[in-house]
Amino acid sequence: MDASVARLLAHPAIWRGSECASEPASVASGFAELDAALPGGGWPRGALTELVLEREGIGELRLTLPALSRLQAEGRSIVWVAPPYRPYAPALAAAGIDLSRLFVVRGRTIAEALWAYEQALRAPECGAAFGWMPSHEDRLLRRLQVAAREGRTWGVLWRRPGQRASAISAPLRLSLAPDRGTLAVRVLKRRGADLAQSILIDLARAPGAPLYPLPGGQPLVRRNTSTSPPHGRRHGIRLPHRKAS
Amino acid sequence: MLWACLLFPSLPLDVFARALTPAEAAHPFVVTSGGHYPCVVAANAAARVAGIRNGQLVSAALALAPDVALRERDLAAEEAALAEAATLALAFTPNASIAGPDAVVAEVAGSVHLFGGLPRLHAELLGAVRAHGYAVRTALAPAPMAALLLARGGQSPPVLDVDALEAALAPLPLARCGIDVDTLAMLAASGITTFGDAHRLPRAGLARRAGQQIISTLDRALGRAPDPREPYRPPPRFERRLPLPSPVDTVESLHFAVHRLVQDFAGWLLARGLGAVRMSLALVHERYLRARGIAPTVVTFALGAPARAPAHLSAVLRERLGRVALPAPVEAIVLTSDETAPLRGRNLGLLPEDAAETVAVPLVERLRARLGDDAVAVLAVQPEHRPELATCESVPGMSSKKSTRIRPGVAGTGAPRPLWLAPEAQPLATDLEAAPWILREGPERIESGWWDGRDVRRDYFVAENPRGETVWIYRDHRYGADDGEWFLHGYFA
Repeated sequence: MDASVARLLAHPAIWRGSECASEPASVASGFAELDAALPGGGWPRGALTELVLEREGIGELRLTLPALSRLQAEGRSIVWVAPPYRPYAPALAAAGIDLSRLFVVRGRTIAEALWAYEQALRAPECGAAFGWMPSHEDRLLRRLQVAAREGRTWGVLWRRPGQRASAISAPLRLSLAPDRGTLAVRVLKRRGADLAQSILIDLARAPGAPLYPLPGGQPLVRRNTSTSPPHGRRHGIRLPHRKAS
Repeated sequence: MLWACLLFPSLPLDVFARALTPAEAAHPFVVTSGGHYPCVVAANAAARVAGIRNGQLVSAALALAPDVALRERDLAAEEAALAEAATLALAFTPNASIAGPDAVVAEVAGSVHLFGGLPRLHAELLGAVRAHGYAVRTALAPAPMAALLLARGGQSPPVLDVDALEAALAPLPLARCGIDVDTLAMLAASGITTFGDAHRLPRAGLARRAGQQIISTLDRALGRAPDPREPYRPPPRFERRLPLPSPVDTVESLHFAVHRLVQDFAGWLLARGLGAVRMSLALVHERYLRARGIAPTVVTFALGAPARAPAHLSAVLRERLGRVALPAPVEAIVLTSDETAPLRGRNLGLLPEDAAETVAVPLVERLRARLGDDAVAVLAVQPEHRPELATCESVPGMSSKKSTRIRPGVAGTGAPRPLWLAPEAQPLATDLEAAPWILREGPERIESGWWDGRDVRRDYFVAENPRGETVWIYRDHRYGADDGEWFLHGYFA
């Protein structure tokens, strides 16, 4: 081809029919320090991610919310199979999740939940499928991995505290623990070199965080009673009580 | 204007014959009129070979072919068949109407371009009708009456121009033009037997002798007089019964019949521009069982979003039917539309990756069909201060009426709210004594619900427990005491 034509075709405003925009293999997590540690620069699409929780209520969902709303913005839906608690709609909506594209599935038995989870992973319209599965059967989990690859879905397998993490074929396994107000993410397994150090992520300002400014723009009074907890008569502590105006 | 006429020459026969297998159809079969001396109204090919002719007495037919199968003419079924054909035609044009006892006319000029040319449109229309098991003859002409007459006259090449109508219609025998018998006899006596003969006569004289009817027939056929046709509108509710040839006792054997009904249903949905949201399939058991009080097995289906693709509907029905146990053999099935919704138009994408959106519904439906309607939920925000009532889970597709946006003035917009809510608030009595808890925020007083007996009076705090988990706890002040019980209500996950 003539050099001038090649130069012309290299112009960014020219789009050629033969080149289809390919889907990126990962979705950015929204946390730069985490993206840097994840192979592909984000949560993997078309693969299982195992998140091992050492505690609950440490910001584990907040860690995933930016990626979820990014996937929803692409027009794909989210499926949560057998969540351990009630997902709280006002908080999710405030964090930017489109509730009409978030499906909560509960099966009557573990087998039903696993079936539903596999279907969700396999479905191309489903961008992310979260499953809280008690099963560790390797054969089954390998099937889930295949399903995620077929559906190009970001599958997250949550391990609740006390649940044994399995040595399965999930290409990415992270463990989450609280660390002095931040979330410590330890990479247990990833494609690539091992990472010895934990990544500390400050989730206090992330969507879904408990500390919001008041509607008037004035921050809520932050009270830290850790230095001198007042001891109550019956329960060991007496918590400061203020009548709501 | 271009009108297509679909003429059903053997409609009385077809309403029965379409349920027969090819082997059964090879036997002599006639449709008879009712009354004391029933006559043959229509006879199939095998019966005609045996010498049975229309108008014969049934006794004569039985003498000619002792094994002939007899059925009394079912006018209601014929009407239903015409309505079905008109519904099918509505997939090709917005203007179709039922003409006379055995024909449907449809205005197709506007749709020719959309379907890629007249031959293709014509072939697709014919294919759709034939797929439903009817013999059909067609004609195309610029006027509905002309199309009708040409179809009655036999197979003819399409007439696309008004000026060509006269020549095309001229050889048609007047006897096929729906003119009453006395007038026909009078004209025949004068040697007037074809359309052309009648057209050449002076109008005024013809009107005086033969009446106005023949004049208006001639003028309408030539497109010279207005010929308003009442457009066919499908009924607002779909309900169709399909009798099965023989009782069926396994669900698997029902699939073919169900698919046939689904095709009818999809045609009806298309004609009305709707998508199905809920439908029900009644499996009617044999009559002797009904007498013993065994009610039809009714299976209801709900879709996540309005849909009308036959393959999609069939797949959902199949998945759901797989879980149905039949208490007794089934002899008929009835498909009913319970709820429909307008199907929104959708923009097709320029690039191929936009296609993912088109299949967004089936996953939810697959899950619901297998796990039950209540297994899949979408969340919605309720305008309610009590946290346990501010979130609700509803069936997908039904949530359109409820707002999923936070309304101003409702708690949850400014104050901290957890992402996980405990299904039940857990008392914290012993946990609190173990180690120091850190209060991060609060109190937030929530006091509401005195009117429905579930009144709450709580002070909520964001707290960090000794394990480093951020939780949402409250102190219950319902009984007025200043040192009420502590409860755990959520996790800031």
